[in-house]
Amino acid sequence: MSQKKEASLLRLVVVLTSIALVAGLALTGVYALTKERIDNAQKAKKELALNLVLPDFKGTITDTTIVPEGEKEGLLVHLAKSDDGTLYGAAIETYTKKAFDGRFDLMVGFAADGSIINTEVIDASETPGLGDKINKTKSDFAKQFNGQDPATYKLSVKKDGGDVDAITAATISSRAYCDAVQRAYNVFMNVKEVTHE
Amino acid sequence: MSKWNILTKGFFKENPSLILVLGTCPTLAVTTSVNNALGMGAATTFVLLMSNIIISLLKNVIPDKVRIPCYIVIIATFVSMVDLLIQGFAPALSASLGVFIPLIVVNCIVLGRAEAFASKNGVWDSILDGLGMGIGFTISLVLIAAVREILGAGAFMGHQFIPSDYNILIFVLAPGAFIVFGFIMALVRHILNKVEAKRKAKLTVQK
Amino acid sequence: MDKLLNVSGSPHVHSGESVKKIMWSVVLALVPAFLVSVFYFGLPVLILTVVSVGCCVLFEYLIQRFLMKVEPSINDGSAVVTGMLLAFNVPANLPIWMIVVGAIVAIGIAKMSFGGLGRNIFNPALVARVFMLIAFPVAMTTWPVATPVWGFADAVTGPTPLGLLKEGATVAGAMGDAHMPSYVNMLVGQMGGSFGEVSAIALLIGAAFLMWKRIISWHIPVAFLLTVFVFAGIFWLIDPTHYANPFFHLLTGGLILGAFFMATDMVTSPVSNRGMLVFGCGCGLLTIIIRLFGAYPEGVSFSILIMNSLVPLINKGFKPKTYAK
Repeated sequence: MSQKKEASLLRLVVVLTSIALVAGLALTGVYALTKERIDNAQKAKKELALNLVLPDFKGTITDTTIVPEGEKEGLLVHLAKSDDGTLYGAAIETYTKKAFDGRFDLMVGFAADGSIINTEVIDASETPGLGDKINKTKSDFAKQFNGQDPATYKLSVKKDGGDVDAITAATISSRAYCDAVQRAYNVFMNVKEVTHE
Repeated sequence: MSKWNILTKGFFKENPSLILVLGTCPTLAVTTSVNNALGMGAATTFVLLMSNIIISLLKNVIPDKVRIPCYIVIIATFVSMVDLLIQGFAPALSASLGVFIPLIVVNCIVLGRAEAFASKNGVWDSILDGLGMGIGFTISLVLIAAVREILGAGAFMGHQFIPSDYNILIFVLAPGAFIVFGFIMALVRHILNKVEAKRKAKLTVQK
Repeated sequence: MDKLLNVSGSPHVHSGESVKKIMWSVVLALVPAFLVSVFYFGLPVLILTVVSVGCCVLFEYLIQRFLMKVEPSINDGSAVVTGMLLAFNVPANLPIWMIVVGAIVAIGIAKMSFGGLGRNIFNPALVARVFMLIAFPVAMTTWPVATPVWGFADAVTGPTPLGLLKEGATVAGAMGDAHMPSYVNMLVGQMGGSFGEVSAIALLIGAAFLMWKRIISWHIPVAFLLTVFVFAGIFWLIDPTHYANPFFHLLTGGLILGAFFMATDMVTSPVSNRGMLVFGCGCGLLTIIIRLFGAYPEGVSFSILIMNSLVPLINKGFKPKTYAK
């Protein structure tokens, strides 16, 4: 240090406090400056996912959280109703804990009759080159769900007697994907019953 | 030490991650692609530069006993600013760098330069030092990331030119980071030793 | 006088062994398993082995000659052994360029960057195998079906017995799978797997030859296999619907190849007999833990590599006894 002087306790407190104060003020400024942009970016991201799983929808979307039977974590359901009040379908934020990396999150869009419109990966960190083929940019695996009705289409890989073609050498990720879609489907059927009553 | 030396010593001779082996966590974690490396390098350079400026300006005000908490507060402030700015203006980069931007706070390079250089030198020298170290850090990140991205993903800055059947996936995963880091470290040291030997030989001839 | 007497423990009798002799004996011991693989998987086995051995020797020569600038020592046969073991650890339908990458890793990263033969901490062939497993996960886990015909085995692929077990819902279900080989087939080698690891009998013949020549001792393989057997047995007794029986674990995967040919690598295993027993038990325990609870179906390579890193500690704890003390 350039100066070797013993500072008094008061000086220590004053200097540290004022530095923290200035830092806090500066941060507040930057936060205020960026808040709107950050919110917009996050909203845009969610809307993008919503548009992908419910592509042609126009109307109102109401959000509810449904906790599946026997589970702790609720799924966020974006219920889509056309302007005349009929049920168009729903986009459901679902997850699985059976993934190779523990967990990943999907958004699944259902039509009113229960068939899958589209699925989209929201957040996943599966192994590059293997499990990450659940992303549509990496392989066609996820596309096989589109248009299928889980009432007749068994959501498990062919090895387990289902109808889904697993990704080569990534059976665990493929199973997890089915698990997440199945969870969303169960919740959707639940919601459908409630709204029809 | 000349001004030019203060700036350039961080590039290779005292390169923070390859020679001083500081900031190893981001060096290993974010070097999966050149774009990530550039983003991380720029963010760290900004924090280094700003914290060096403020700390060298305040070096006579900050008492010795509380200097580390003061440095941390200053560094953390700039890191939070960078984090917010990236989230707001470059959400894609924010998604791929994730938690490693906030982790710049605990990057040894930033605190190390504050303690070892900015707290003892004037503001101009500190600016040069911060810039030089930041550029050196960016150079090493980009070197490692280039090797990893080309071998592991068959791409450079996101442009794929090797089909994915011929990618060596391990290089974009953690073990590949360690292997590439080690070999680049060895290579840079080898080249530096050669340069140094040549310089010495020249000196003795001149004498 | 003092200087002259103070060398090391007697007796000083040269056994007539040399690195060269040992390495070529190992190559000879691997030949039976190699022939069985050629029988089951055909020409690709021959091509992969030749490329692997050739590349290992070539890279060793190039690195020693031009990077380390020392007299190349490719005649000692150690690169040939590495090349053969590396080839034995891959599926027979692996693309050729991948095994070239494997050879670079085995020689360049695992062996030469530590200083060459005798200085490497990890078994080079295993390092390369694990590297390739992570680097080429699809190619390294797509196994051709063993069919005793001559020709290219590239058409049909099938799972390994351990893979079936890991991915199947229940043990009974996995055992009933059409791909699951009988125990006789496991013994002779008609099952899916890396091409050098399938035939237990051929590997045991080679191992017996090495033991007869006293190139490997019984300590590591016996400790390794026994530990796997005992722990697999314990879990099997606890819940036979969940865990496969211990004989299955002994005969499948790379266990026999690993226990006799890779864990016993002189450079990367402990020097004393007691140390070898500890080393073998550690390998066995880790193998069973990875097989039963890990994400990968097979754990032999990982467990040997992990135990390799503990060898200096084991050597410190179990020093060889000084003669006649």
